[in-house]
Amino acid sequence: MKKFKHGYEGMLVVIEGTDGSGKSTQLELLKKSLQDKSYGVMVSEWKTSRLIADVIDDAKDRNLLNATTYSLLYAADFADRLENQIIPALKSGFIVLLDRYYYTALARDVVRGQNIEWVKNLYEYAPEPDLVFYLDMPVDVLLKRIIGTTGLDFYESGRDVGFSTDFYKSFEIYQNKCLEQYNNMKQEYGFISIDGTKSISAIHKIMNNEVQKILDSGILD
Amino acid sequence: MAKLNEKHNYEGTLVCVEGIDGSGKSTQLALLRDWLKSCGKDVIYTEWNSSPLISQTTKLAKKKNMLSPRTFSLLHAVDFADRLKQVIAPALKAGFIVLADRYAYTAFARDVARGVDPKWVRQVYDFAIKPDLTIYFDIDPKTSMERICFNRTPKFYEAGMDLKLSSDPFESYILFQSRVVKEYKKMLAEFDIVKLDAKDSIHKKQVEIRKMLTEILKTKGVEIEEI
Repeated sequence: MKKFKHGYEGMLVVIEGTDGSGKSTQLELLKKSLQDKSYGVMVSEWKTSRLIADVIDDAKDRNLLNATTYSLLYAADFADRLENQIIPALKSGFIVLLDRYYYTALARDVVRGQNIEWVKNLYEYAPEPDLVFYLDMPVDVLLKRIIGTTGLDFYESGRDVGFSTDFYKSFEIYQNKCLEQYNNMKQEYGFISIDGTKSISAIHKIMNNEVQKILDSGILD
Repeated sequence: MAKLNEKHNYEGTLVCVEGIDGSGKSTQLALLRDWLKSCGKDVIYTEWNSSPLISQTTKLAKKKNMLSPRTFSLLHAVDFADRLKQVIAPALKAGFIVLADRYAYTAFARDVARGVDPKWVRQVYDFAIKPDLTIYFDIDPKTSMERICFNRTPKFYEAGMDLKLSSDPFESYILFQSRVVKEYKKMLAEFDIVKLDAKDSIHKKQVEIRKMLTEILKTKGVEIEEI
């Protein structure tokens, strides 16, 4: 019988990309299309553990975080979700769709000055995904999207890192640095990079095809 | 090599006490603090799992038995990192004597006793500053239990109940804390930790500790004169 690299019954699919790149929209579409094909789907988003997510939000609101506690809190959130949601679902044969994975931490923490090897060690126990989609978006498009929807957020703009006191400028510098980190990771982690400026349905089609290829191998049957 | 093996260059002095519960380390640290204060020294005290950022969350999660070994480890690392960056490092820069009730070694002992990889947890705490003096209070788990649990049952995590070594909390405590003690003993040479016998009298241990600290301060050009 064919097996996944991580050894679990289920399949692990990750969508990565910076804020505003359209990850959640695609995740919803993918979830729907897989459920329509009678597969069990579980979705988990970055920073949503019951235990720690509120602490992170509160600490951000009150500006309590330094680069090290920032890294460690996200790592704790991840560990909690991995052990309580993701791995149990994989063991039960679900297709697990993740909005962000530890690549997000690698990008953000390194931009905040952490040593990359230190950050990698924090996540070294995480199972390797079967597919990683990366939504590639130019910063100018991102800026428009974010200003048009949620508005510029303090941390998303990297204001805590002190690149610039100007929100717009800080966002530009911070997101560019994050993109640089993502670009460095593309090859190392075998990202399937998709042009994020394509239409929603065009992107969905690409993702669906890639997932279907794996399903066609009969690995989940 | 990690910072924990390199001498720091701060003006201040970092003193840590380690050991399982009931080993008398907090008593010794309190005596040391009062003495240093009475000698007119700038002293601050910091204890394990006390940062305003996370300690309440960790305590709540412990009460609900919600933590996996790795989450347990990372939450304590958050606490430690917060205190290190906000309290310990600034105080050392300002020339204070910093007294820490438990330090990174507590994580190394407890987390590894829970099955976490020793290399992994050492790497997580890679940002920790090497103390000038670390004292380990050696006590056997049975005596420790008699001291802290004479009128109560050991708590879930303190007894290592999450490891399912035994369904009896008292028995589990002995089994789990024996593992912790074993890890502490492995660290004595690795991190230049001084071992004291917890069963010695309070007075004898305090005299010994003051002597060691006085010597260390002397090498930094700090004399202790009782006022």
